[in-house]
Amino acid sequence: MKPSTAVTVTRYTAILVIGLAMGLPLFYLFSSSLMTPQDVSAYPPHLVPPEFRWANFTDAYDFLGARTIANSFIYSFGIVILQLCIALPAGFALAKVRFRGSRALLVFFAIPMFLPNNVVLVPLYVVTNELGLIGSYAGLILPIVGRTAFATLLFRQFFLTLPDGLIDAAKLDRAGWFRIVRHVAVPLSGPAVAAYASITFLNSWNDFIWPLVAAPGDDYRVMTVALAPLAYQEGLSNVPPNVGMAAAVISVIPVLLVFVFTQRWYIQGVVGTGTDNT
Amino acid sequence: MRTKSAEAKTGREGRAADTGGPRPRSADPGRGPARRRFISRDGTAAAVMIAPNAIMYLLFVIIPALAGVALSFYEWNLFDDPVFVGLANYQDVLTDDDAWAAMVNTIEFMVLGVLPTVLVGFVLAVLVNTRMRGVGTVRVLYFVPLVVSTAVASVLWSWLYQPQSGIFNYLLSLVGIDGPAWLANTSWALPALTLMIIWMSLPLVIILYLAALQRIPDEIMEAAKIDGAGAWRRVWQIIWPNVSAMTLLVLALQVLNFLSAPFETALIMTQGGPIDSTTALSLYIYRVAFEQGEIGAGSALSMIQFLLIVLLAGGLRLIHRVRVRGA
Repeated sequence: MKPSTAVTVTRYTAILVIGLAMGLPLFYLFSSSLMTPQDVSAYPPHLVPPEFRWANFTDAYDFLGARTIANSFIYSFGIVILQLCIALPAGFALAKVRFRGSRALLVFFAIPMFLPNNVVLVPLYVVTNELGLIGSYAGLILPIVGRTAFATLLFRQFFLTLPDGLIDAAKLDRAGWFRIVRHVAVPLSGPAVAAYASITFLNSWNDFIWPLVAAPGDDYRVMTVALAPLAYQEGLSNVPPNVGMAAAVISVIPVLLVFVFTQRWYIQGVVGTGTDNT
Repeated sequence: MRTKSAEAKTGREGRAADTGGPRPRSADPGRGPARRRFISRDGTAAAVMIAPNAIMYLLFVIIPALAGVALSFYEWNLFDDPVFVGLANYQDVLTDDDAWAAMVNTIEFMVLGVLPTVLVGFVLAVLVNTRMRGVGTVRVLYFVPLVVSTAVASVLWSWLYQPQSGIFNYLLSLVGIDGPAWLANTSWALPALTLMIIWMSLPLVIILYLAALQRIPDEIMEAAKIDGAGAWRRVWQIIWPNVSAMTLLVLALQVLNFLSAPFETALIMTQGGPIDSTTALSLYIYRVAFEQGEIGAGSALSMIQFLLIVLLAGGLRLIHRVRVRGA
């Protein structure tokens, strides 16, 4: 039974129109980042810039500052890399090593998956402050690295699918657990790492509250913290909106590129765990 | 003794289920004293592999969670010595009109946001779940909000919401409606923020529903078509009941989402205003703890928020159990 042409055409149209509506805000962000101050506040609003003002981007770069841009990369990559280092072996041990209490440990990691981060925001700040880490890269990054539940459970789930025969073979070759992790498990974990990295990079790149609380002052601030004041009416008056939009575009581009190339992994990771841990 | 063996049994069963079958005999490291030694060596290896992870997790998740409970019984401004005050913080918080107003706002965010997000997400997932040519490319448009941070979305949407030159009011003017000053209007600011949060939340809902939809066997849909069920009936009488397990998960995630998302959004876009009309519970907690420097009261409020989550999660589980039993 073939669907009628009318139904197909309606469906195509609906998919396209709604998709364009979902994408419209982002399209408007890109187009207004190239407008002149007059064009961006013109009425009726322009959807496409009448003339392209590329200088917005140099102004936006000056507004953000190189250090803030670098901080965003340090923050996101720091979290992804450090978490990988501690979560890969732990996930492997929970999946493949038999030891007493592994079941209890699993529960220990699974408990707070549904605890929103902002519930522990105040005590997390207190603990980080007591450790003397507020106002440093360590204080910015390590508390988020500590949220290892998602990564650990994702890698455990993945390592469970590794055939035991592989590990037994390595054991027959007298390989210890650590060699097995380094030379057997980690090289095979590409898909899981890709899924994890794409989700975690997106989330941490877009983090706002923790970087705001943990890094007072300009030295350790990330791009989201620099951009946020522009959304408030009074903030907009300090920086022209077209320059603000260009700054927002600068902060969106890396994550947009990552998403376009890792979309498949991102979706697999989300579906595999049922949550993206936000 | 009995509990111990029962525990070991469930442990093994769980593992067998995880790997999709019983473990091969060869993986069993022998019996007797030799086995004991082997297990202890594995235990050491496991400990070394898990320790760094567990320590970080303990330090920055478990300890803060417990500290939150403890701090809620103290009066503390971060600098002086904390003073134990028992339940006084809870008393203060429960008689605090602003806290109740924040609670009402939180409920309003949830009522306006949760069901529309789940329903619209479901409908959009059904819409784009097709093998028609070119849809794969267009589908990416539906995931666009994923790449946008709350900060960027806020900058962008506050501009779309501009009363004089914003796109929303321009579109409304085309149909003859004089749009309000969205973010500066006490009755429109909260719905305006909710709409933006819905936009930001849809991709995740769509992704999860797409996964559930692709698990529905083709035969069921074919059979329904042959029986003459129209598109509408197929969606609500076949597809919707078939994804009910996912709906429950999506619902739980969105309840959590609308409990937390208005925090960042309102802090950035309206700073809780105008006249506290968008101050959600989590934003109020932030205010009390970080702006007024009352760590204890902030922690007590966090505990209440946590209790709320537990209650909501418990309610959702109950619904699930009743429905499973009914089916």
